[in-house]
Amino acid sequence: MNNIVVLSGSAHPKLTQQICDKLGIPVGKVTLSKFSNQETNVEIHQSIRENDVYIVQSGCGQVNDNLIELIIMIGACRTSSARRVVCVCPFFPYSRNREPEDLTFDEPKKEEAPKKTKKNKTVLDLGQLPLQQSTYKHWTAKSGTLIANMITAAGADQIITLDLHDPQFQGFFDIPVDNLTSQPLIAKYIRDNIPDYKDAIIVSPDAGGAKRATALSEALNTNFGLIHKDRINKNNIQLVGDVKDKTVILLDDIIDTATTITKAAKLLHEHGAKKIYVVAPHAILSGNALNLINESFVDELIVGNTIPQEEHVEKCPKIKVLDFASMFAEVIRRVHNGESVSFLYGDSHNWEY
Amino acid sequence: MDAPSNSIKIFAGNAHMELAKLIARRLNLDLAKAAVLKYTNNETSVTIGESVRDEDVYIIQPGCGDINDNLMELLIMIHACKTASARRITAVIPCFFYARQDKKDKSRAPISAKLIANMLTVAGANHVITMDLHASQIQGFFDIPVDNLYAEPSTLKYIRECIPDYKEGKVVIVSPDAGGAKRATSIADRLDLEFALIHKERKKANFVSRMVLVGDVTGKTAVLVDDMADTCGTLGKAAQTLVENGATKVYAIVTHGILSGKACEVINNSALTQVVVTNTIPHEDKKKLCPKIATIDVSPTIAEAIRRTHNGESVSYLFHNVPA
Repeated sequence: MNNIVVLSGSAHPKLTQQICDKLGIPVGKVTLSKFSNQETNVEIHQSIRENDVYIVQSGCGQVNDNLIELIIMIGACRTSSARRVVCVCPFFPYSRNREPEDLTFDEPKKEEAPKKTKKNKTVLDLGQLPLQQSTYKHWTAKSGTLIANMITAAGADQIITLDLHDPQFQGFFDIPVDNLTSQPLIAKYIRDNIPDYKDAIIVSPDAGGAKRATALSEALNTNFGLIHKDRINKNNIQLVGDVKDKTVILLDDIIDTATTITKAAKLLHEHGAKKIYVVAPHAILSGNALNLINESFVDELIVGNTIPQEEHVEKCPKIKVLDFASMFAEVIRRVHNGESVSFLYGDSHNWEY
Repeated sequence: MDAPSNSIKIFAGNAHMELAKLIARRLNLDLAKAAVLKYTNNETSVTIGESVRDEDVYIIQPGCGDINDNLMELLIMIHACKTASARRITAVIPCFFYARQDKKDKSRAPISAKLIANMLTVAGANHVITMDLHASQIQGFFDIPVDNLYAEPSTLKYIRECIPDYKEGKVVIVSPDAGGAKRATSIADRLDLEFALIHKERKKANFVSRMVLVGDVTGKTAVLVDDMADTCGTLGKAAQTLVENGATKVYAIVTHGILSGKACEVINNSALTQVVVTNTIPHEDKKKLCPKIATIDVSPTIAEAIRRTHNGESVSYLFHNVPA
């Protein structure tokens, strides 16, 4: 392949190496470091003039550091006369709209103040701060548009990402966004590795993911179920669908603190599920997630490698990792050569995980 | 018909809460309510706790500490205020982010200061107030108005009041490098003092080699003047050179005291008598390690700039005077 350079940010260098191995090219030479005052330093050690540059950076780990690193790398490529700069973000940061519940702005009493981490920053743990009192309804800033504008302003020409939490996010950009789907790969894994999948039931752990779960159940020709959390009466959780003596496959897009899926697994177990698999392309597994999963009724957790999983696999033997490097490598190859990417999602393509 | 008058709302990120409180107290206001926290996966969360609709919002966040986290906090706060229909949003950045990456000095170097300017504009800032930009041309990176305040009046006041031997005229203003000559000569002229310059040969970033003094400092107190002190390699070697050339005492007055890495150790072991920094960057913890550090409070200047910007008055007064 000519005139192509794939650069890696610090978030997930292993994935970039795997992608480049599949493409048959070396990873571009970049030194990423921090100055003494914590500012990010990017040095590119090869000429990229008139090349197509693909920067692989996932929104995980130290998210803000990695995001600024991505923006500075895009800027560096632009000022170095790259022909095109494409951001490959397997897991896109700030793509979820989350509400921290029950915030108050009165001066917290000493014993009620939120926990401080060793860097003297408060870590938000839902439900720790008391109920609001004033009539002003506070809201948490939704940063999606801002991130999209920042990446466009830095000079990116295209974005390639996987399973955006909110598909409408593509509309925040003025540049083309390729939102890949992990569904064919997940479907293939299930056919190959879950013995009685034809009798299994695909369950969505919340109402928002219903569309995702029904699409997978149609592809596999299985039954479908849904877990519905009552937002007003928090103790009322319902299961829609029959799971007695069945193998259940819980499908979600992002697993962060794992509270959703472990509660869902408990409910399914109470309703008589025989075996419980959980599948998700993005596994952040922050906070206490790994302990929760180890102690839960989840039998196997199948996750993608959009976020580095080596440490998680060591601490939690239930985790199996699906490799998305082949998918990204194939998409990069097609984007570079100007070929169709939708062809990948036709019936004849042979997926590798 | 003129727009109805609105009020000042001062928000602070986590970078320098103390400075924000000083500024707010000076303006006789409380800091506006906001919760700027982190989720467990390290994404920043900003919740604005009061209405900012049609208000004049000032967000105070210098570029220090965990810089990338603080930068994201600032951008998300600006964006939040914009979507909350604030009338005007001013980013008050006493020490600008990535100010030293302002030119392409080698192949494929990013101009990060320009990127930060773009980010601030894209997030929705209408105005930027900063102090002693590393290169004042950075103002040209923006399409929105930028007020580059000067710490010079506060520096002059400190020299007049706190440097011994000033009244006898036995003080020389020294610039630690050729780039700061303009800054040092400006101060020397206003105080009617002599001026000297140190020329250094630099091979790698943050590493200084040989230093040559141009000018005479024998028997005088030397006052080194610079805009930033990061690892303090420059200041330490400059002090050594000055003492070797006959200076009796060496002071350093620096606007932005970043003091990262081994700076405190370098200062403690050097020939410097005192290092004076402004409070654009928090440094209380550094003072405990290094008793030679003293502080100039610039919150009156910044607070006055905010007041004048809000009332539509001229800010030029602050370029030559310290507010009372």
